[in-house]
Amino acid sequence: MFKQEKIYMPVPQQLGRGDRMGRGPYEKSGIIEDTGLPPGKTVHERFDILFPTRDEKEGKETVRKIIAHELEIEVQLWYLPYGNMNSDPFLWHESIQKVKISETGN
Amino acid sequence: MRQAMRRKTTRLALAMAFVAVCLAVPAHAGKAGIGWKETITAKKGKAKTIAQLAAMYDSGSCIECHKEIHDDWAKSIHARSIFSNGRTAATFRTAITNGLMEWPYSGVKSPKDITVEHLMGCAKCHLPQLADAEDSVAREIVATIDAWQDALKNKDKAAAGKAAETLKSLNINCLICHNRNAIVHKWVDGYPKAGEVYGSSEGKHEDSKFPILKKSLVMSESIQCGQCHGLGPNMEMDNPTQCCTSYGSYLWAYVAEGGRETCQDCHMKKSKLGHNMQSYRDAGMARAAVDFKVETYGYYWRDVTTITPKAVVKVDMTNRAGHSIPDG
Repeated sequence: MFKQEKIYMPVPQQLGRGDRMGRGPYEKSGIIEDTGLPPGKTVHERFDILFPTRDEKEGKETVRKIIAHELEIEVQLWYLPYGNMNSDPFLWHESIQKVKISETGN
Repeated sequence: MRQAMRRKTTRLALAMAFVAVCLAVPAHAGKAGIGWKETITAKKGKAKTIAQLAAMYDSGSCIECHKEIHDDWAKSIHARSIFSNGRTAATFRTAITNGLMEWPYSGVKSPKDITVEHLMGCAKCHLPQLADAEDSVAREIVATIDAWQDALKNKDKAAAGKAAETLKSLNINCLICHNRNAIVHKWVDGYPKAGEVYGSSEGKHEDSKFPILKKSLVMSESIQCGQCHGLGPNMEMDNPTQCCTSYGSYLWAYVAEGGRETCQDCHMKKSKLGHNMQSYRDAGMARAAVDFKVETYGYYWRDVTTITPKAVVKVDMTNRAGHSIPDG
């Protein structure tokens, strides 16, 4: 129901000029921007995930029904030496947690 | 027939004389510094084949006394520096196909045009001793990579394995770090000499080929690793390349921010990996390099009268390494 990816890496500049990213070492000669994890620093990320709901008509009103009161959240940090999941991906860290919301309300 | 034979013999003799002359010519003619004539390559002359280059820096005699270190090293990528798991060899080839052969001024129309200079963009780090070889070795490397890739396509495991082993015979072994690249400032400290190994102490060394042990001034310094593990684009080349940038990041983002540890502190000593210098593929190194904390909670979000519950996921990633992760 929710999937989001963020990429952390120095973005190499093709031949050290212009706005194109280089790919192979032979054409990389600069860095356009660096979104990698800098040494000694903490990178903070925040994701806001809405629980699944369904809007139903009840008389004249529309009522939002909650489909699930619990979500399983899986966060993975992958290292992709060649930039994609097809080539030698490495799962660096993983966290699986459950988030519950109350079912009774006030 | 006899005349023809005589002519052929003459030509062979000339060829042999020519070889003798070649051997007498310094391998690095034109170097300004004093003492380069004592280096391994100056003494032996440039290698003409992969086998000769492998033999020039053969570390086989180290194994008898340093087996444990050798076995550690054999697990590292240094032991297969132009092959790795196959991707490095493939990238050498891509650099030729998508780079050298496409660039109008590279002088490379086909793999037959490849010279040592063309490959040094990769080999500067993956095989620095290629600088001590003739162009025939560069072409043999490319031909071997092609043979390996062809064998894989044809599902010929034996041929692929043979080609891979040939490529793995060239690597970053004992003599590359403890001789050839053991002295960085050669005008200050002299050139590394044939017959000497550079380590942590001075004295006799029980190896008939390398009977002298010399103390290296940089072996435990980050600059030793920085020779290959990169500052950024290699501007000294006619066509700069950029691969590993770890040393640049180490200098300007780690040391500049107060970092005090060396490459060897983390990759060899603290990790207890010794000469099996690993990075993320070692579970201990991966754990030590990045702290990964995830916090989650949920609540009912209210937009006027509409209520939609949401989960908040907070991720903190702290890089404990001495360089950016990843690099490049």
